[in-house]
Amino acid sequence: MKGEIVHDGDIISFTGRFNIADMREVTSSLEGITASETILNFTNCKSIDASIAARIWSVSEAKKRKGISLLCQSMNTDIQKTFARFRAIDNRSIAPAPKRTLLYNFEDIGDRVLATWDTVSGLLSFTAQAFRALFSGKVRGPITAYYMEQSGVMAVPIVIALNWLMGVVLGYQAGYQMKQFGGELFMPALLAYSICWEIGPMMTAVLVAGRSGSAFAAEIGTMKVRQEIDALEVMGFNLYGYVVTPKMIALLIVMPLLVTVANFAGMAGGLAAGGFFLKMPSAVYIAEVRKALIPFDLYWGVVKSFFYSTIISVTGSYMGMRVRGGPAAVGKATTSAVVVSIFLVILVDALLSLVFVHLRPGLSL
Amino acid sequence: MYLSLSHLEKSYKDPSGNNLKVLGPINLSVETGEFLCLLGPTGCGKTTLLRILSRLEQADGGKINMGSGRLGYVFQQGALFPWMSVESNVIFPLKASGTAGGECRSRAEEMLNQVGLYEFRKNFPHELSGGMQQRTALARGLVTEPELLLLDEPFASLDTRTGISLQEMLRNLCGRLSTTVIFVTHNIEEAVFLADRIVVMGHRPGKIVRDEILDMKWPRNRLSSSFTEILLSFRRTFEKLVDPLTSSLTEGKESEL
Repeated sequence: MKGEIVHDGDIISFTGRFNIADMREVTSSLEGITASETILNFTNCKSIDASIAARIWSVSEAKKRKGISLLCQSMNTDIQKTFARFRAIDNRSIAPAPKRTLLYNFEDIGDRVLATWDTVSGLLSFTAQAFRALFSGKVRGPITAYYMEQSGVMAVPIVIALNWLMGVVLGYQAGYQMKQFGGELFMPALLAYSICWEIGPMMTAVLVAGRSGSAFAAEIGTMKVRQEIDALEVMGFNLYGYVVTPKMIALLIVMPLLVTVANFAGMAGGLAAGGFFLKMPSAVYIAEVRKALIPFDLYWGVVKSFFYSTIISVTGSYMGMRVRGGPAAVGKATTSAVVVSIFLVILVDALLSLVFVHLRPGLSL
Repeated sequence: MYLSLSHLEKSYKDPSGNNLKVLGPINLSVETGEFLCLLGPTGCGKTTLLRILSRLEQADGGKINMGSGRLGYVFQQGALFPWMSVESNVIFPLKASGTAGGECRSRAEEMLNQVGLYEFRKNFPHELSGGMQQRTALARGLVTEPELLLLDEPFASLDTRTGISLQEMLRNLCGRLSTTVIFVTHNIEEAVFLADRIVVMGHRPGKIVRDEILDMKWPRNRLSSSFTEILLSFRRTFEKLVDPLTSSLTEGKESEL
């Protein structure tokens, strides 16, 4: 028997069986209610499905906000049970999104600023706690070695490949431009400076953020979702010491090595580009590089890598720790870890560049 | 008295930034060695209360007076460490509490014997059934012989038969160790079977709506008339909580949606 709705003054009677096909009729009947108190009579109603119950529930909530009450009467047990399923639903998930007024836009901006501030202050506080644990706790050797292998040894091939290719591209493009003015002999120096000062450390940081930062966030986020972090906390473990510092220590050890490897791979790429495209003998390329570089240039990459490794390990761990809810939150944390890490790496790189020009011997503005 | 809570309250911020009160005020005291079941519908704040007691979360207001002894916590999904064997999982809290290596192993083995998992001590959690994983979680929660054991619906995801056998095991182990237990559940039969005392919590914000010491001896017979009578009595209380609309309509009254 199909559902039928009868209006009788302030009483709306539902008769028969209602399902999703009756949605339009139910919605228009309920939304047309203007009386301050209306009775919904279910005496002759056999059943309603979940979609109709949800609609009655959401419309009644919307009406309630306008001061209009809907009172239910004479439901059979099945209908009562169907309604009971929606009792726990938060009405905001059913109600439409608020209209985007000018005030709403300002509030939205304010909310975003506050949320960003929350993240920044949380990250700073997390970093402080992580350093405290780093200097006060004991080192978990085996697990630190595991992360060193995962983040360092396993990353060597991709770091070499990417930086070698960057060296080839830079060497070829710089050499090609310079050759037009007969200055191809300056290519090795230009390339060595670019690689050691910027490209090597930066590319390595981006790669490690993508590989390890995301892995840290996913690992800790999954532990959060599975309540393993809660279990550790209840047992009295220092979470920073147990979960975060092995990752920090591992990156602090392997990143300088990776950056050094990256620098040499990049310069090797330049050597290949010089030999292949500019017909530059290897001995000339190497001599020019040695003439241009001083040990400070190689140390500088190592110094930068300490900052980058701290940023990547702490940001990845922090984003993992912030996970609330289910697996979807882990995915978001992973994305945030990579995006925020790379942003902070570039920001710190810019600040370090300001310091660099004052520190490097033989470089003046 | 082991634990007393007075005017305990907790709120969360909802996505719109408004304060959403989820708990309280809660006034409750728990005697040493008591097995208390916190019974209530989903979302009434039972787990939040447990998390506050275990210091995983902070209350917004109120006072907690609690003994300073060891604490055990059994999570709904076990929360076993997947990279560790069953034995290492059980040893882990002992190591955290500074117990010496040899003693750790012997106590873990004894506890694994009690939960019937000694033969599986070298297995990893993913190699065990759901019931065995929960037994491991119980062993991990009890191995330090905690003065207070908190359990958050530990048997909710298990089949009825396994759940019943674990209920009996839990009750026996806790009785032997004289542990004070707070057991969260929404399963009325489980609560009536296990508890010395049942505290029923109502809908958000969670408040205590019924607090009753059960006058039943242990071991309990699920088919006895006294068991059924108590079960029905709590079921009536519970149904009113789950759906006030239903109960008022059943009583012939109108109810606002």
